[in-house]
Amino acid sequence: MMNITCPFCGKRNESEFIHGGPVGAVRPDPNAVSDEEWVEYLTVTPNPLGPVQEKWWHARGCGEWFSIWRDTRTHDIVEAPDGTT
Amino acid sequence: MSYDVTIERCGQKALFDLKGALDAVSQWAGDALPSLPIRPNSRTEEDGIELFHIGRDHWITRAPLAQEDAIEARLKPTDCPADISIVRVSDTMTFFCIVGPDAGQVMSIACPMDLHDSVFRTDAVSYTEVFGLKALVMRCQDGIEFAVEQSFADMVEDYLIRATA
Amino acid sequence: MVQRNRRASGGRIDRNRPLHFTFNGKLYEGFEGDTLASALLANGIRLTARSFKYHRPRSIMGHGVEEPATLVELDGEDASGNRPATTVPLRDGLSARSVNCWPSPEFDLGGINQLLSRFIPAGFYYKTFKWPNWHLFEPSIRRAAGLAAAPESPPASGHFEARNAHADVLIAGAGPAGLQAALEAGRAGKRVFLADEGAEAGGSLLNRNLSIGGRSALDWVEDAVAELRGMENVTHLQNATVWAYREHNLMIVNEREPELDGVLERSWRVRVGEVVIATGATERAMVFGDNDRPGVMLASSVQAYVNRWGVTPGQRMVLFTNNNSVYAVAADLAAAGMQVEAILDCRKTVPPEAVKLVPDIPVHAATVAGDVRGRKGVRAVKAVPVTGGAGRWIDCDVLGCSGGWNPTVHLWSQSRSTLRFDEDLAAFVPDEAVQNCRAVGAAAGDLTLDRIVGGGEDLAYAIEPLWRVNVPGQRGKAFLDVQNDVSVSDVHLALREGYDNVEHVKRYTTGGMGIDQGKTGNINIIGTVAMQKGVPLQEVGTTTFRSPYTPVSFGAIGGLREGWRLFPYRHTPVTQWNKDHGAVMYEAGARWRRPGYFPKPGEGLQEAVNRECRAVREGVGVYDGSPLGTFELKGRDVPKFLDFIYSNIMSTLKPGDGRYGLMLSEDGLILDDGVAFRLDEHRWMISTSTGHADAVNQHMEKLLQTEFPDWQVLITTVTSQWNNATICGPKAREVLQAVDSDIDLSPEAFPFMSFREGTVAGFPARVVRVSFTGELSYEVNVAPRHMAALWDKVMEVGAPFGILPVGSESSHVLRVEKGFLSLGHEVDGTVDAYDLGMGWVMSKKKPDYLGKRSVQLRRSGGGTRRELVGILADDPNQQIPEGAPLTPGGRKEATDGLVTACVWSVVNNRWVGLALLEDGHARQGETAHVRLKDDVIPVTVTKPVFHDPEGKLLRS
Repeated sequence: MMNITCPFCGKRNESEFIHGGPVGAVRPDPNAVSDEEWVEYLTVTPNPLGPVQEKWWHARGCGEWFSIWRDTRTHDIVEAPDGTT
Repeated sequence: MSYDVTIERCGQKALFDLKGALDAVSQWAGDALPSLPIRPNSRTEEDGIELFHIGRDHWITRAPLAQEDAIEARLKPTDCPADISIVRVSDTMTFFCIVGPDAGQVMSIACPMDLHDSVFRTDAVSYTEVFGLKALVMRCQDGIEFAVEQSFADMVEDYLIRATA
Repeated sequence: MVQRNRRASGGRIDRNRPLHFTFNGKLYEGFEGDTLASALLANGIRLTARSFKYHRPRSIMGHGVEEPATLVELDGEDASGNRPATTVPLRDGLSARSVNCWPSPEFDLGGINQLLSRFIPAGFYYKTFKWPNWHLFEPSIRRAAGLAAAPESPPASGHFEARNAHADVLIAGAGPAGLQAALEAGRAGKRVFLADEGAEAGGSLLNRNLSIGGRSALDWVEDAVAELRGMENVTHLQNATVWAYREHNLMIVNEREPELDGVLERSWRVRVGEVVIATGATERAMVFGDNDRPGVMLASSVQAYVNRWGVTPGQRMVLFTNNNSVYAVAADLAAAGMQVEAILDCRKTVPPEAVKLVPDIPVHAATVAGDVRGRKGVRAVKAVPVTGGAGRWIDCDVLGCSGGWNPTVHLWSQSRSTLRFDEDLAAFVPDEAVQNCRAVGAAAGDLTLDRIVGGGEDLAYAIEPLWRVNVPGQRGKAFLDVQNDVSVSDVHLALREGYDNVEHVKRYTTGGMGIDQGKTGNINIIGTVAMQKGVPLQEVGTTTFRSPYTPVSFGAIGGLREGWRLFPYRHTPVTQWNKDHGAVMYEAGARWRRPGYFPKPGEGLQEAVNRECRAVREGVGVYDGSPLGTFELKGRDVPKFLDFIYSNIMSTLKPGDGRYGLMLSEDGLILDDGVAFRLDEHRWMISTSTGHADAVNQHMEKLLQTEFPDWQVLITTVTSQWNNATICGPKAREVLQAVDSDIDLSPEAFPFMSFREGTVAGFPARVVRVSFTGELSYEVNVAPRHMAALWDKVMEVGAPFGILPVGSESSHVLRVEKGFLSLGHEVDGTVDAYDLGMGWVMSKKKPDYLGKRSVQLRRSGGGTRRELVGILADDPNQQIPEGAPLTPGGRKEATDGLVTACVWSVVNNRWVGLALLEDGHARQGETAHVRLKDDVIPVTVTKPVFHDPEGKLLRS
């Protein structure tokens, strides 16, 4: 059970949150990409062994959607790697 | 001996959900409401009208039920500008008061949040979990008050009775 | 009843408070303060158990959670299985039985396995019982293995509790190091959570005769406990095991004797800033032939029984060691009047300060225990030079062993913090902390008291490791894991067969997989592997330490969540009315309790459902539609937003009007169906299916907050602000008029798919003309505070019209007759709107909306689709099971469809079904085949609508 920092509420028990998946590619204009590009957007999501940026929803809290970097090996919540936000 | 607490399922109160930027909501509310709390998860009260700041650009105001129509008349939810939202939600929540020396212990069964005096202060209010449900929690005289979605109220009452049996 | 091994004085028991208990059916006496184990030893009960695999006779070996040998099953109100006897507090009326033996440990029929032991080596079961598969044999093998069964019923009284806590510092263990840490943190004003598994604080000091600053160490303990009791910022629990160390410093504690009536056990989930691991050290067993004979014990346990419980486990002792700790044990035993015949010490030279402690006891240096006599109880031990050679038998009835001490690093290691093998201590010790924790005292490898508490007085440790006795002439099995009957030869076999990683050795031999998790023996398995492979122990490493540290009852983990409290449940203001009127209640999505149907006395499901359906089709019915998810949306960008999340166009709606729509996910699957209404220029209301209300809320908020933060849309959930009574049927308008409303109900003024505000029965109401039944229908929404009164009024006024309440069974029938889709039935995660015959809902005008591109992409391949059709069997009385497959010609082939629903249609007076069928739209009029296990049902494929295909009624 992780302890996750909500930008509005501060640290709260993981049970208050719902995991919203990794932060993936920006949605392309569906009318301007090829089938292959669209399929890649839909199906290829980051799944690293290590830090990954994820969306979380403070569902049983203030309702905020936010992102954190979580190390998939340890559950440690870490700083964003250099060059990312 | 069981827990030394009194559990009350409270009567209904007037509740309005307010959303929008601080300035826009304040401006529209004018004198209808006390000034809006600015610190996250804090509350203010004036003349029996409370305001809870429980999310980004999100407040709830609470008042005695008898004032519901008067407040609605002043807030004019259907007339407010497009960039703010005011919705009457008086029926959506049921409040419980857990009062007495062991209130903290009973709440620790229900709620994972740290409600210790040093952390959860007198003016604190927050959404968190109670028995796994989204719940609005705050302090009251000699204890803790919380609200759950109204349809879960019977269940929460059952759980509280069991927890303090 | 004579406690023949009880000393006349001494120990932390109350001789004025005798307790009576039964063990394997016989009555015994013990004292307040005893454990079951100390009471059994006081009564001279030697044979207490049979072993797991070979059913060898066993006795009590330890004194605490490390006990590997004696597991018991408790009866009556304590009912629980597989409890180490050393951890069961004695109480009056306790009734315990040995596990693993029948009919008794003295005469155990399973003992035949001992004779067969050379035929059941490690891996025997896996190798032998593999055809057709292991699972066929597993139940009977497990039964023969004979661990205790789970209790058959919950405790007769009391309940479990789980609670949350928070602290700056959690200290695991209230021995000298833990108490010292608690005092320091408490004095500094920190919020301290101190939990200790023992009945009282003191840890190992309770078992030993040590001094701190010239006073008895127990006086120091008493002072420390008193000081902590005076601190409001300190929570101090005994009988409370910290059994799990989870991510982000979440600790789980099981408190077994909470001081609150009615609470059986309490589980604590404690989130802490810093964890102090003061869990002490565990003595290790010695490995030699027949080292499991009854009477072979841990040396420190013998000491604990003598000092703490006033029990002499035997009369004539021999001690066997590789370190200094047993010399204090020997001194204590001698002081208690026991005869210590000899100390066998494998070290070449014994430190003189150790020998000085035991002036009258023969000490044999460079000597090991080479053999043991006595199958049902030790009679003699053979002292053999460590280098081999002729031994000498020494008579004794207890052999106390110390193979050294392991820092109890379980919690440390659970935190993912690392271990290193310390050659001086010959043990794995904490190395680098990964979470915010530190180990102190013996858990950190500080095995002498003066390093923990200033002024503590005991001997230096001075170990020379001995991983196993290796002298010629040993005949018996040398056990590494006494609980699971794993011996040195099993580990050798595993290595020979290629399982040379320590994790593989563990699983192949089951060494360390008992409920004691190898607390006394795992290190010897690692040592045995290291010796055999000729590598250092550091290289072999440990197996992974996992929670729970000691067994925890499921009840404590579950807390309140037992029986009907397992899942949450929701009521509407009409729930009680439904129950009072005989409804059979269902859970109907999103945890709502809803009426399934309302049988009259003597009536079955089908008759009741037919009656309710006829009321709706021919007269009028009413149902409680409150659980529908309802949201108010506000803002300039709501039209744009709704056009994006629904597949059809919502932005063109005029105030007061509504539209049915589908929400798709980005991958083109159907997320939900519902209705959107425009209340005024910038205010909208949408409703969702009951079961998807939360998911739709999440979906909308996620899009708005993460994808379109600039869009001005504010959402408020109002599911519980508006309850509704949905009045449906040809007479719905007449009933609503009779209920009294200021809304003009005429079809011209209030047409289908529109929305009016006004009053109904004097209550403020939002009335919506939607229909999920295919009939004229008014969804009358009022505040929940008015719902019960509205319902009563509708039932009262509707009575002359024959109104009936309608349950979810009938709702299902009514929607199937109309071919209205149901998520989870027709919408199964593969179909799209075109498959359902709802291509009209997929906007062609909008260049983009969620799911559009994906649906196009999927359909562009031109493959065969499963499409929604109606099916009718030739025989109108033929019911078809929902979920049944359709196959080409009814042959045993890959399916080409499935039956999604089949109901008795009151309007058609026959069974009608819906199915998803390959190319179904083109096959209308043809015959398809439902294939059942023993039958094939030919069905005619039809349009998926069996009532009012033009939809005149719902618009009426």
